[in-house]
Amino acid sequence: MTETSLTVAVIDPSRARAAILEEGLRAAGVGRVVVIPDTADLLERVTALKPDVVVIHLESPSRDILEQMSGVSRQVERPVAMFVDRSDTTMMQAAVDAGISAYVVDGLRAERIKSILDIAILRFNAFARLQRELSEARGELADRKLIERAKGILMSMKGLTEDEAYKQLRRKAMNEKRKIADIARAIVTTADLLG
Amino acid sequence: MRLQLGYIPLCDAAPLIAAHELGFARAEGLDLDLRAEPSWATLRDRLALGHLDGAHMLAPLALASRLSLSGPPSDLIVPMQLSINGNAITLSRSLWDVMAPESEAPLDVARAFARVAEARRASGRPLTLGTVHPFSCHSYQLRLFAEAGGLDPAAFRLVVVPPQYSVETLARGLVDGFCAGSPWNDVAAAAGHGRIAVLGSALAPDAPEKVLAVSERLDGAILPLVRAVARAGRWCADPENRAELTHRLAHRTYLDLDAAIIERALPGGAAEQTLIGAQLGFGAEIQEPRLAYAQWVIAQMRATRQIVDPTGLEAAVSTIYRPDLYRAVAGEI
Repeated sequence: MTETSLTVAVIDPSRARAAILEEGLRAAGVGRVVVIPDTADLLERVTALKPDVVVIHLESPSRDILEQMSGVSRQVERPVAMFVDRSDTTMMQAAVDAGISAYVVDGLRAERIKSILDIAILRFNAFARLQRELSEARGELADRKLIERAKGILMSMKGLTEDEAYKQLRRKAMNEKRKIADIARAIVTTADLLG
Repeated sequence: MRLQLGYIPLCDAAPLIAAHELGFARAEGLDLDLRAEPSWATLRDRLALGHLDGAHMLAPLALASRLSLSGPPSDLIVPMQLSINGNAITLSRSLWDVMAPESEAPLDVARAFARVAEARRASGRPLTLGTVHPFSCHSYQLRLFAEAGGLDPAAFRLVVVPPQYSVETLARGLVDGFCAGSPWNDVAAAAGHGRIAVLGSALAPDAPEKVLAVSERLDGAILPLVRAVARAGRWCADPENRAELTHRLAHRTYLDLDAAIIERALPGGAAEQTLIGAQLGFGAEIQEPRLAYAQWVIAQMRATRQIVDPTGLEAAVSTIYRPDLYRAVAGEI
């Protein structure tokens, strides 16, 4: 895709996610990608930039600022409309599921818009997946630390070896149909209270 | 049955919040999942695309959504009105000082505003006023404010300012004033940046403000929901419940704002006593989504040229506004 003549504005309360989209659009050959901060003077910035397409995250409170550009207002010379073809509900669902809405200047051809939307959907979904994996990884790490502490407590209080302490935790978890980390958390909390 | 309902954190979302918090929904066998939405546009899109079953919605936006004037195709209907009034126009301190109106009467204020707005336009630095969405009573009230003073509404710039930005944009001089709902006018006034210049109700008495918009797909759940929200709205309208309602709304789950400011803006609050004109109303007398309300909105849309071709409009509006659904349960409330 060669879109070197296009200017795309990206607005997102998450700077990390905005950066990922910016990188994706650049890699696809979009000539000019500008990340606009999600602040009160957004309209001035968008008006000054004169972008062909504005990609904005659904969670941005600034979406309503862009709504006035959809042809109703006399203030903006370049009328902007909702991005996706109204008849294409599948595309619209995919965009909203990924957290995207986009506005495009009248006259930009549909297939060019779609390729930009495709990139945005892919990148935003990838970002959401990364975040999920990251929080799972953080959770696992926290669980492992909790289990280490609980083992330590059992070892010093009951004079067990590390292996025995772990087996006790596991047996308790199996008997109570709970996760080892939950049992460990109960031991650590109790020890904190009594210690 | 579990329902996903969207709202914007404002005082007039009170009937939905009360329906959930005070058990009116549970009594109807409904479990409400209330979701604060970041913008009207996102609320509209999520309702249209089926992520939400219903929502607290600007009356003009609900009509615009279903009439294909705004956002994705929608199957929403309006079985109940949530509130009337509650908006006000707040102007910056400096603009108010330059205006120096003869009195605080709405007409004097509008004339003083018109004088300054004309002068600013002539000098090539037109005033900028904020509204909350193009399809809102706020936009129409700003135009009526201009016209009351004999001013051409094109004499000032109209921009959208999300309510949570209103105080900052006023403080930074990005706008000279704004029209917003409760409690944002009181928030700006309390912060010392603005002065409440005129109430929306002085410009358009009993304007239809927010409605309950639901997807037609909800079908059998619509009537129980209307019963629950209508009971909750009447509870909100009762001055005896003001303290508890204030406490619930101020909580960080909902508005997350100073309770004293919210209390001023609620029915019977201090804001009502300091300015002439009825304020925010939730009671039984306003809950029926009368076609007259919708027709007023349509007239405003035509006056602002949001609607150019009125062909078939009347029939379309009577499929969106559904007083029959409200009347079917009104006797049981």
